[in-house]
Amino acid sequence: MSAMRVDAKVVMLGKESVGKTSLVERYVHHRFLVGPYQNTIGAAFVAKPIQVGEKVITLGIWDTAGSERYEAMSRIYYRGARAAIVCYDLTDSSSFQRARFWVKELQNCEEFCKIYLCGTKNDLIMADRSVRQIDYHDAQDFAEEIGARHFETSSKTGSNVDELFQAIAEDYNDTAFQYMTEDTGVDLGQRKDSYFYSCCHNN
Amino acid sequence: MDGEGQRATVAWETGTLAPVDRLRTERADSPTPGLVEGTEPGAGGKSAMFVHAQSFEDLTAEAEEEALRGAELDKSEEDCTEELKALEEQHNNDFSSDGRAKEEDVSSEAWRSHRKHVFVLSEAGKPIYTRYGTEEALSSTMGVMMALVSFVEAEKNIIRSIHADGCKVVFLTKSPLVLVGVSRTCQSDRELLRELQYIYYQIVSLLTLTQLNHIFQHKQNYDLRRLLAGSEYLTDNLLRRLDRDPGLLLSAVTCLPLASSARDVVSSSLQAAKAKSLVFSILLAGDRLVTLVRKKDQVLHHMDLHLVFNLVGSSSSFREGEGWTPICLPKFNTAGFFHAHISYLEPASELCLILVSTDREDFFNMSDCKRRFLERLSKRSAYQTLKDALKCPSYSVAQVGIPELRHFLYKSKSSGLYTSPEFPVVYESDEEQERLMGLYQDLHSCLHHPTRPLRSFYRCSETENLLAWVTSGFELYLCFSPLATKALAVSAVNKLLKWIRKEEDRLFILSPLTY
Repeated sequence: MSAMRVDAKVVMLGKESVGKTSLVERYVHHRFLVGPYQNTIGAAFVAKPIQVGEKVITLGIWDTAGSERYEAMSRIYYRGARAAIVCYDLTDSSSFQRARFWVKELQNCEEFCKIYLCGTKNDLIMADRSVRQIDYHDAQDFAEEIGARHFETSSKTGSNVDELFQAIAEDYNDTAFQYMTEDTGVDLGQRKDSYFYSCCHNN
Repeated sequence: MDGEGQRATVAWETGTLAPVDRLRTERADSPTPGLVEGTEPGAGGKSAMFVHAQSFEDLTAEAEEEALRGAELDKSEEDCTEELKALEEQHNNDFSSDGRAKEEDVSSEAWRSHRKHVFVLSEAGKPIYTRYGTEEALSSTMGVMMALVSFVEAEKNIIRSIHADGCKVVFLTKSPLVLVGVSRTCQSDRELLRELQYIYYQIVSLLTLTQLNHIFQHKQNYDLRRLLAGSEYLTDNLLRRLDRDPGLLLSAVTCLPLASSARDVVSSSLQAAKAKSLVFSILLAGDRLVTLVRKKDQVLHHMDLHLVFNLVGSSSSFREGEGWTPICLPKFNTAGFFHAHISYLEPASELCLILVSTDREDFFNMSDCKRRFLERLSKRSAYQTLKDALKCPSYSVAQVGIPELRHFLYKSKSSGLYTSPEFPVVYESDEEQERLMGLYQDLHSCLHHPTRPLRSFYRCSETENLLAWVTSGFELYLCFSPLATKALAVSAVNKLLKWIRKEEDRLFILSPLTY
């Protein structure tokens, strides 16, 4: 094991019990743990390499606790993040309100962080359409309004989960490439983009 | 008064057990275990790992002082039955049900007959936690509890406990919180109070006292459950531990039995993986301590350590990746958060590393410390020895070679560590284990009685004979088969102490390290 190198910091945000941890579990360990709900304590970090074209990009994923108790700490988790997966529970309208809160927070503090709006527990909707509380198009409209990408996933079946993280990695790769070409230009007034190297290196 | 009169109990003098003139002899030469603090088997070198104090008294002293300040108010049984009835009527009057897993009808007989209830409320009488049932359903009950507290306070008094109807109701006021325990066990008020303190500190460890005070200063009526959401299971688990874990009773922790050479390598590897902000490095194997390295001059209170154990043991959250969480160690400092890096050494391993840092920005530094520790450790054969030791984390009492001895607890006071064999077949079931723990708790109460403390205590019953003995160096609780005699018990003590001395390298951490 060598020192950890992380290309892009990704942060999971959202109300408690919307399924942030399950999403990470599904993506990283390809599993869905059934059992009593266990909330995350503080935050959990996991690094995951992902193939984009010919390149390998390592995502450093911060799975944060949804509990209000840790809200004051959340800044350290999303600071410098290149991507934020803002989760809401498709069957719980209050979780969408919370998602709006996180979006606002990110817009205010992290202008370089790309937002991925993610409706979770899609399998429940598939089983019974009447439990849906957040309309697909409403969420889609909101996503467009804030310039975010929008996904509906199920960690239980795995539906759309890999697609979500793949999109993050590809977007990162594209923008990283953009910065690179910008850097070679002659723009003397270019802003110093400390977020380019993302996460861990800025302390 | 304590209802102990009928028991067949004999207290006896202990002067003959060990030759006094040999107390101070060197550890290496001494076949007789020292009775004096610092020379007993399991005593760590000069630098103990934990805050050194008369731990049990230390824990309860605060509350007692408070209680003494106000004139003692031990209500007579007649006075209190009425109030208790009022409480129970309240239970009948209000019930509501929503779909929580914890849901239980608080008006039911089953709810009422739980052995031990714990309630936490704010000084405004708002429910914060209940062990059984839901807080919502108990809001008026908790209102009555608060009314009792305020009523007595208005008379410039403090309510400590109510004894009635085979039930003890114990109150602990820790502004801005009030904790109430209702118990049908034979534990003393003091023991119950100590358990409430644990629950209080559990809450403080999540929020800090500063934050807690701040919240209630601004909004007396605040619903603290908002901030504690999702932590109820930590409190539930802590209460379970208080019933079952001898470590919480003895105010001590136990170690994974491990050859001292291997433990030294693990400790020094951990010592080498240091960082500026690092205060404590703790390696756990399940509930057992493998080693603990600390910053020079900083000591950990066993209570804080138990809170950390409880946090790690209660949650699968840290198996997911590397955990990074704020944690207040209330016995160290109630005002601020440390930040703990918590992770398992390998995915399915029992070995969990906890790195406690002062800097909340230091995650990647801590992560690197872990990597360095693991790298160093993997190169040594000690890692394999450690993994092998995990396969037998306990030992059988038969190893001691005292036929009538079934089980024991031995605590070295100066190191704050204890050792105990696995439960024998007779105590295999959960009920039996809890019963035995209850007996130990009883003995513990007697030894540490606030006004009439005992040095030793022998007790016969139909199911087992028990002996408890406390010196300035150690505390010992032995459980014998009912056929054993007192003479045999006395001779067993010496034999056991010698055995522990012989095995102390393996059972204890004798040379704790600092950075």
